[in-house]
Amino acid sequence: MAASDTDRFEALIVPHLDSAYTLARYILRDEHDAQDAVQDAALRAFRYFASYRDGDPRAWFLAIVRNCCHTWRQRNPSVPLNESLVEEMSQALYDSTETDTSAIESSQQAAITRAVQNLPIEFREVIVLREIQELSYSEISEVTGVPIGTVMSRLSRARKRLASMLGNEIKEAS
Amino acid sequence: MQCAECREMLDMLVDDELMPDEARTVRDHIASCSECSREHESLVTTSNQLTNNLMRYTAPDVLKARIHNGLTQSLSSEPIVETKPKQSRWAWVVAAGALIALASSVVTYSTVTREIATRSAGDEVLASHVRSLMPGHLTDVASTNQHNVKPWFNGRVNLSPVVPALDSSGFTLVGGRLDYLSGHPVAAVVYGIRQHLINVYSWPSTGSDSSPSSETKQGYHLVHWMKGGVEYWVISDLNTVELSKFVGLLRAG
Repeated sequence: MAASDTDRFEALIVPHLDSAYTLARYILRDEHDAQDAVQDAALRAFRYFASYRDGDPRAWFLAIVRNCCHTWRQRNPSVPLNESLVEEMSQALYDSTETDTSAIESSQQAAITRAVQNLPIEFREVIVLREIQELSYSEISEVTGVPIGTVMSRLSRARKRLASMLGNEIKEAS
Repeated sequence: MQCAECREMLDMLVDDELMPDEARTVRDHIASCSECSREHESLVTTSNQLTNNLMRYTAPDVLKARIHNGLTQSLSSEPIVETKPKQSRWAWVVAAGALIALASSVVTYSTVTREIATRSAGDEVLASHVRSLMPGHLTDVASTNQHNVKPWFNGRVNLSPVVPALDSSGFTLVGGRLDYLSGHPVAAVVYGIRQHLINVYSWPSTGSDSSPSSETKQGYHLVHWMKGGVEYWVISDLNTVELSKFVGLLRAG
């Protein structure tokens, strides 16, 4: 690999290691697996960097990370998280009205993160790519390798589930 | 516009994926339809809650170090990669995270250097550990393979340091470094676990064997022992339970 490629890799890809690690944490739901998958992805990205032309370098890298995570999952099938945890967490959210604001905030952060981690994989990856990484539909399509229409319907269904888990579908008159 | 059609476009509206005229049509409908308006409001609330609350994770130092090692190795056909400052384009990757850990230690380090006259070996180990976390100082030889790290010390220090493979116990070899402590060159072998880095120092000594003793300095745990004419120091911000386990494995290896 030429030195100029190395410099480009350093400038374009390395800044996205945190984004990569975040995506891997949500897909694999295990910090050690996520580290292994991101390491694998970074080395793979480095090796195939010559094939990167233009477009968003983050989306290009996240597509590799996502593939490595899926390969990793197939090799090490994980135990599904307990569904009842979601109910516990959203119940905790309702119960938290009497505690102080920061406790509500952190319990809300935990509840929302947990709710997303409990979604099926095809839902949680589009949620992370849209709500955390703020990628466009076409970039999400590029990363996940599914058509834009599928991205849209997954995102919409995932949000409806989360709205219901987080109690947002119940609207009070204001 | 019908409600059903509007509902299908709400996500796109929220995600800014509609053409301006489409967006205007949907907004006009929402303004005149309380049910679609409520649906839209629920969607905005949910999306904002997710964006504002979802946990973002930071890639740990150890992961960055592992990637750095992998990249420097794949750049060279040599089995051993010397990370001289000039070649070390990636040194900052390791350093980026370490710097954050370092921020709280800088005061410690300058305190230690000021008290140079009264420094014990433990103080020197602490200062060296903190210095090693600075950009480009962690390793001279970056490798997760003990068969690369161990021979690298040949001719550089007058002993062959112990470099057991401890991956199965969660301790990843990061590399090795030549350092200078208590007036002589010493071998520093670096291991990582999660976001923690461990420095293992060893040098020849005339002292008699002693079992490991622990102390804590400025939030770092140090373990010291002598064995077979070699003085050992282990230092990390890792918790004492896991560090003791590490020392046990090291002494067994």
